[in-house]
Amino acid sequence: MYKYILESAGNINWMAIFALLTFFTIFLMSIWLVFRDSKEYIQKMEHLPLEDDATESTYS
Amino acid sequence: MESFNYDNKIVRNFAFASIAFGVIGMLVGLLAALQLVFPSLNFGIAETTYGRIRPLHTNAVIFAFVGNGIFMGVYYSLQRLLKTRMYSDVLSQIHFWGWQAIILAAAITLPLGITSSHEYAELEWPIDIAIALVWIVFGINMFGTILKRRENHLYVAIWFYIATWITVTVLHVFNNLELPVHLFKSIPVFAGVQDALVQWWYGHNAVAFFLTTPYLGLMYYFLPKAANRPVYSYKLSIIDFWALIFIYIWAGPHHLLYTSLPDWAQSLGTVFSVMLIAPSWGGMLNGLLTLRGAWDKVRTDPVLKFMVVAVTAYGMATLEGPLLSVKSINAISHYTDWTVGHVHVGALGWNGMLTFGVLYWLIPRIYDTKLYSMKLANWHFWIGTLGIAFYAIPLYWAGWTQSLMWKQFTPDGFLVYGNFLETVTQILPMYMLRIVGGTLYYAGVLMMVYNIWKTVAAGKLIADQPAQAPALEAYVPHKGEYWHKWIERKPIQMLIASAVLILIGGLVEIIPMMMIDNNVPKIASVQPYTPLELEGRDIYIREGCVGCHSQMIRPFRSETERYGEYSKSGEFIYDRPFLWGSKRTGPDLHRQGGKYPDSWHYNHMLEPESMSPGSIMPPYPWLFKNEINTKYTAAKIKTLQTLGTPYPDGYADRAVEDLEKQAKQVAERLSKDGINQDNMEKKEIVALIAYLQRLGTDIKVKQTPAAEVK
Repeated sequence: MYKYILESAGNINWMAIFALLTFFTIFLMSIWLVFRDSKEYIQKMEHLPLEDDATESTYS
Repeated sequence: MESFNYDNKIVRNFAFASIAFGVIGMLVGLLAALQLVFPSLNFGIAETTYGRIRPLHTNAVIFAFVGNGIFMGVYYSLQRLLKTRMYSDVLSQIHFWGWQAIILAAAITLPLGITSSHEYAELEWPIDIAIALVWIVFGINMFGTILKRRENHLYVAIWFYIATWITVTVLHVFNNLELPVHLFKSIPVFAGVQDALVQWWYGHNAVAFFLTTPYLGLMYYFLPKAANRPVYSYKLSIIDFWALIFIYIWAGPHHLLYTSLPDWAQSLGTVFSVMLIAPSWGGMLNGLLTLRGAWDKVRTDPVLKFMVVAVTAYGMATLEGPLLSVKSINAISHYTDWTVGHVHVGALGWNGMLTFGVLYWLIPRIYDTKLYSMKLANWHFWIGTLGIAFYAIPLYWAGWTQSLMWKQFTPDGFLVYGNFLETVTQILPMYMLRIVGGTLYYAGVLMMVYNIWKTVAAGKLIADQPAQAPALEAYVPHKGEYWHKWIERKPIQMLIASAVLILIGGLVEIIPMMMIDNNVPKIASVQPYTPLELEGRDIYIREGCVGCHSQMIRPFRSETERYGEYSKSGEFIYDRPFLWGSKRTGPDLHRQGGKYPDSWHYNHMLEPESMSPGSIMPPYPWLFKNEINTKYTAAKIKTLQTLGTPYPDGYADRAVEDLEKQAKQVAERLSKDGINQDNMEKKEIVALIAYLQRLGTDIKVKQTPAAEVK
């Protein structure tokens, strides 16, 4: 089984590493950016869907 | 303050279309389920036979029911999140009627057997072009709306819509690269392994970017609305978004584990599928935790109940998906009803229940009234949930049972269930229970139709809903603001960023596959199909045989014992399209050639039960009446030559002659076995038999001497 895995790993090395690196770059970048956002901004964004509720909450 | 109107009419139109096609598409699904237990329900008519009904069902629920559901939700939420009316009412209309026309075209062509045989992309090239045009109209309308918005920032739901739009565009184009032979027939540019990889890259991402990302967008909008509280974590939703769209695009090869696809591609598919658990569950938890402190509402509000079950089903399906992508689990699940159960947890649970929740929430609002009956909606919820359980659990059971039966050996090393049919009849009771589940679910849908009908009758559509918002201010960047803001404020940047992310995965997987020649080792004895076999193959495609029969023997002893030598990638280089299949309701056919005499196939296609008592395969009486259509044989050969199939120069002109010669030989062999029919050599069945007898025989040529020595 291990032999099988090692054998097949030969020609995918660059792909696996490339994929992993790009993923982690993007993942870490999105986390970093998200935590740079100000509290007001996040709060504003969170409430965007709820803004027209005043006219709608009477139903259902 | 500026005054404007929201367009509710277009939302209403898409909502009604979604309901109507839900009713139709699920009914067709129910028929397909019944046919698997009662083959007489195929009615002996080509247009109503399972192989043609199944793609009709899948296309109807994916693109008609869920598709219209997506547009309903997008048109409602986009206007409100951006505080503007849709960019163009005319484009909205073109989008709506264009999409319905495409659905109509699908509903006509699929039963007629006009299909490219690529799963979830069956429609032929003229319809593909129409889809592209309508999709572009939708894109222009969406981006036009975004550009004339009165809100500086784009809420995360809109990011999901943008990513959906760009990715579906890319997928649709690549998976439908084909050369037309005539108006209703095309030949794909890619062959064999490459066609399989592109198809499942598409197929998986149809799940990802048609059934998942747009619905996540709807979840991020409608769930907070229904619960009347903001999403649990907006930050999590952003991380969720970038991670999800990046990872999803890589996962396609998990549909091809243990096939002839090169190992490196399979491994990539597995790794990324397992990684998918994280962003998927991020989305699910974000949805469920939005209800923190509001669970008391869930007890009374049917809308929230539907949404909770939808999000839970999403979580279950996205945990199961990665598990099924692990090779050792896939070895058991692949080709069985486990997969069918899995996708229905997603379709009935996630897509269905979320659509119903949104409909119950939205229809009373745009009709300025209250829902006709909360009680009935609650009944719908319970009967629907029960329906899902009754659908999925029997199919899991059926899948495990059948797979284990396939793999069961006696102590002496023989297959315990050597006859494939035994493993089918064993699980028929489970198929019956699945019908019960589907019927329950369907009953719920009918209750909803009545409930919404009454609601609509009691209210009046607010076609143009007045609203007010301040004009868009010129954006002044704050101190310390970074480029992520620049992206999320600007739709075009967002479009480009999403496109780059999904293209990375797509290109890294697909380009090497196309470029590196030794990914598909050539086998010298593998030859192109003869004209008769080619026509037979097109009949096989037309009848949707691929819906129940795979042509891909995996390298397991249980499979090589049952079917013969496992399939090699080099055997498929002339297969356009590939016909590996993804479900074995009947046995694999890749080594079918030469296994039975021609007469066996003749009798079997006419009346399957005469050869295999208890078989659930439908009969194909029309193949014995229809004559082989040789009108396009030459054109097909020419198209194949253009794509690189090595027929001799000028062969197209001699093709029909060769076809007739071979057909005569088959007819003579049948005659020797005592089967006589007027003009036998002209009938479609002869072409089909020629194709079936050719399957997998090219590499058998070499093995004959070894067998003789033995």
